[in-house]
Amino acid sequence: MKQFFFLGWIVVCGILAVPISGPAQTTLEKIDKSGVLVIGTRTGSPPFAYVNKNNEWVGFCIDLVEKGILPVLHQKLNKNIKVEKKESAPQTRIPLLTSNAVDLIAETMTDTQSRREQVDFSLTYFATGAQFLVKKGSPIKNIQTIAGKRVAAQQGSTNAKLIRERVPSAKLLEFPDQPAAFQALAQGQVQAYTNDGIQLAGLRAKAPRPDDYAVVGEFFSYEPYGMAMRKNDSDFRQAVNVGLMNAISSGLYFEIYDKWFGAKGEVPYPMTAEIKRFLQMQVVPK
Amino acid sequence: MNYRFDWSVLWSGQTGALLLQGIETTLELSLIGWLIAVVLGVVSGALRTLPIPPLRWLAAGYVEFFRNVPLLVWMFVWYFAVPPLLPQAFQDFLLDHGVEFWAGVFALGVYHGARFAEVIRSGISAIPRTQFEAAASTGLTIAQTYRLVILPVALRLIVPPATNETLALLKNSSIALTIGVAELTFQVRQIETYTAKAFEALVAGTIIYLILCLAISALSAQIERRVAIPGMITKRTMGEA
Repeated sequence: MKQFFFLGWIVVCGILAVPISGPAQTTLEKIDKSGVLVIGTRTGSPPFAYVNKNNEWVGFCIDLVEKGILPVLHQKLNKNIKVEKKESAPQTRIPLLTSNAVDLIAETMTDTQSRREQVDFSLTYFATGAQFLVKKGSPIKNIQTIAGKRVAAQQGSTNAKLIRERVPSAKLLEFPDQPAAFQALAQGQVQAYTNDGIQLAGLRAKAPRPDDYAVVGEFFSYEPYGMAMRKNDSDFRQAVNVGLMNAISSGLYFEIYDKWFGAKGEVPYPMTAEIKRFLQMQVVPK
Repeated sequence: MNYRFDWSVLWSGQTGALLLQGIETTLELSLIGWLIAVVLGVVSGALRTLPIPPLRWLAAGYVEFFRNVPLLVWMFVWYFAVPPLLPQAFQDFLLDHGVEFWAGVFALGVYHGARFAEVIRSGISAIPRTQFEAAASTGLTIAQTYRLVILPVALRLIVPPATNETLALLKNSSIALTIGVAELTFQVRQIETYTAKAFEALVAGTIIYLILCLAISALSAQIERRVAIPGMITKRTMGEA
């Protein structure tokens, strides 16, 4: 028995050791020292962040960081800053931030109240809501018609939780990433895949035969995307927000939007007047 | 580290229920997978030691094919590639009745079966040649020799490596989350989503896996002591009685 108690002690000590924090260093100091801004983003989430046909890691979020936020950091720190990208997933992004592995999460992360207990968010840079991706001609039209159906969702997404609460009779299957969920839909393992509407539009655009699929249903959730940062680091947060506000007020944001979501973009998704107004109203005067 | 710990998330709300469901699914997945693995392992491990070449090749083919492809790939194969090969009616039935669970069970069972086979084979190889000869000289057939003489001894010799395999199987069951099986690791991630408390959820998962594995180790230490064949296995470590 003795060795069990010993093991128990190791575990307990390990847990107690975790909260001990190192010397506080602000994110701006960290970036200044290393000359690198490390962002956590996705490789399979077109057109926000993904690896394209030429094997380049690109996307809407990455452009916002490189063209919008980076110039502010340049100015503030008075030196050249490089961007380093790391893969983050819904389950890893908060630990990546709190462990200092990345400085900024720039991907399709919904700003929520419970997440705000752990991390700070930038202003909302994109707003969407949950819908369904189905095969053309599917009887599923919206959240009211999924009762008893097999529905895929992404693990760690807010949509899965909503489906479970609102339509408990739906057979919910959760996959760790978009490709697996899409494969399940393509093969008939599930009859619908729910995620944020814009991501479904992106997935459909990337499908071998986009016309075989349809994005259906009105938004059954509100998903405002924000960039996440470590808590209580207001100087860095200010830099990120100023970068985004400058991009919106100078029109750069809309150029980038047009590049990815315009008629000739990766995923055509015209911006509504309502969203445009909402973005502009987040910009406070200089 | 700039993080506020709040351990109460582990027992407030539905978190406790999620963890319990996760433990249940992990145990079911592992237990059924283990039974498949042991049956496949004993049969193919024994076949690999037979003096009949075609059967030996068959077993060797199974072992090499299944243990040399990553388990993650097998999960996808059993989930995505196997159901479409079945008749439509059966396929629909499976899809409505948790096909992902059974795909996970088969992936684990068949993959670990190949690894168990090698454990069993090494157990059989450890048995002195004279035992085979003695069995043959008393008029036992090959099947009888294996069933009555060789396997009972081999199975008692391989308890430690078989324990190792069992622990690996239990932990590998977490790979089933890639095909949507709501096992323990899946639920740990779920809790992270609902509460945004990643560290607390991970620590809870770590401790649960540790407890499950320590329980298996303790159980098999008991079994090992009970079934040890005096004279065939060297005494356990000195000082431990």
